[in-house]
Amino acid sequence: MSSRAAAPVLLPSGKRLRRGLGRAALLVFVIIYLIPILGVVLTSFKTNAEIAARGIWAPTGALTVDNYLSVWRETNTPRYLLNSVLSTVPAVAISIAGGSFIGYALSKLRPRGGTIIFLIIIAGLFVPPQVLLVPLFTLFRDLGMIDTLWPIILVHSAVGLSICTLVMRNFFDQIPDSLRDAAAVDGANDGYIFLRVMLPLARPALAALAVLQFVFIWNDFLYPLVFTQSDGVRTVMLGLLAVQGQFTVAYGTQGALAVLASAPTVLVFLIFQKYFVRGLLAGSVKG
Amino acid sequence: MRPSRLWTGIFLAPPLLLFGMVVAYPTADALRLSFTDANLLGGAANWVGWDNFIDAFGDKNVRHSIRITLIWTVAGAIIPPAVGLALAHLLQGASRFSIVMKSALFAPIAVSLVVAGQVWIWIYQPEGLANTILGGIGLEGWQQAWLANRSTALWAVFVAWSWQQIVLAMILYLAGLSAVPGELAEAARVDGGNRWQVFRKITFPMLAPVTTVVLSLVSINSLRNFDLVFAMTEGGPVRETETLPLLVFRVLLRELQQGEASAIALILFLITLLVIGMFTWWGRRRSGVL
Repeated sequence: MSSRAAAPVLLPSGKRLRRGLGRAALLVFVIIYLIPILGVVLTSFKTNAEIAARGIWAPTGALTVDNYLSVWRETNTPRYLLNSVLSTVPAVAISIAGGSFIGYALSKLRPRGGTIIFLIIIAGLFVPPQVLLVPLFTLFRDLGMIDTLWPIILVHSAVGLSICTLVMRNFFDQIPDSLRDAAAVDGANDGYIFLRVMLPLARPALAALAVLQFVFIWNDFLYPLVFTQSDGVRTVMLGLLAVQGQFTVAYGTQGALAVLASAPTVLVFLIFQKYFVRGLLAGSVKG
Repeated sequence: MRPSRLWTGIFLAPPLLLFGMVVAYPTADALRLSFTDANLLGGAANWVGWDNFIDAFGDKNVRHSIRITLIWTVAGAIIPPAVGLALAHLLQGASRFSIVMKSALFAPIAVSLVVAGQVWIWIYQPEGLANTILGGIGLEGWQQAWLANRSTALWAVFVAWSWQQIVLAMILYLAGLSAVPGELAEAARVDGGNRWQVFRKITFPMLAPVTTVVLSLVSINSLRNFDLVFAMTEGGPVRETETLPLLVFRVLLRELQQGEASAIALILFLITLLVIGMFTWWGRRRSGVL
């Protein structure tokens, strides 16, 4: 480590120049790659008059927060955001809790038929949502749940069990059986062992899944589109498309709503990036 | 200590009940529905045997959807993984600068496909960024309404999708590269191998397990991609970009034909299983050789 830290001073000037150029090229590339994101953010702070006069992509003009105010006051955005929270948070919690239950039971309690249960749940990873949509639409209609948030919560809770079970079982497999057995000998039941011994150890895996599931469910568009109809139950991703229809030219307004819709996932992602990457890997490499 | 059956039941019953109700049973039910003429208008469903599948393969719209879905999947298995690997190779390193650059580049993965679709519409519209750039470099002749033109719409959406999938591939490859021992590549370079040879003979084979993962994930995303296409084109112009997921949506919720929608969804499922099976088999063989 120390030799690496000292290296820049010792580099011959030609090499240092080349590295500087390499970094500059990389910086330019990253900025170009992120133009779609920068474009939305910039647009959200421009006046609609400015955009009408010079187009979306002109990198100039006075900045304003009016778009955010008008999105908040003149559209149903607060409701959309609330609906997204009300459907995403329970689904994240239920899928992770359920995946931890199954993962612990399969890894440490080893019931008969455990392997088959595991394989069936993992097979869920490969079922396209479109296969589920057809029967589920009838099911939720018969239960009177169409046009409520319940189908979104239930579907994401259940579909998420596949990835959560995979990650949690792999995690519990790495914890020695002796840890459970020692606690069991001391008279603890499995409910206690799970809650007080295993879950605290599993915090990194739980955090990874939480970030992964939050980003995935918050951003989902298909299930809310199919299972809801009225404006009052729209999630923010649906709201985005609805507002796009109402304000066909008001790009600033659209941009502000896009930023509000993306802020939760982007913030969670930036803060917990380490966990997100770990979740992605845990769910894939070992599977 | 033998685990108690009671606790095994308490842990397994609730989540398995949920999974059975919302995933396992509907999957089986979709299979049953695909052999009926069930529709959402009500009325009794009749057993029609293989008719829905025969009709599907006989319908030129369905065949078009299958074709573009497959083209998308093949292109998706090549372009995002290759670019992602190249980027990961360029960006690996632990200097503070490269860590900051990497973090910034990860951002597209957290943005929803609906938001991505919206901004890519702004890029592709007639007065959008794509045409502005083409005009700026003197290629006015290439300017067009990218999403309204039947010959460019599909690829325009594909580029927008790749923008995000490249990042996914890059993240996985960065993790894979960090596990490749640097001494091995250095030794090979000392022995006179050039950069390309070292990459091809040493680094890439060692990345085979990651490559399997990348190909599987990206292919699943290719095959179930609905949000982005719906947000950008809704399957248009005409039905040019109507991939299989969009076709299922149309047949189910616009034409209300459950039986036919199930059959098409199952064709999509079958393609998914074949593609994943192929990559898994390739991955096993690769790691067997190693």
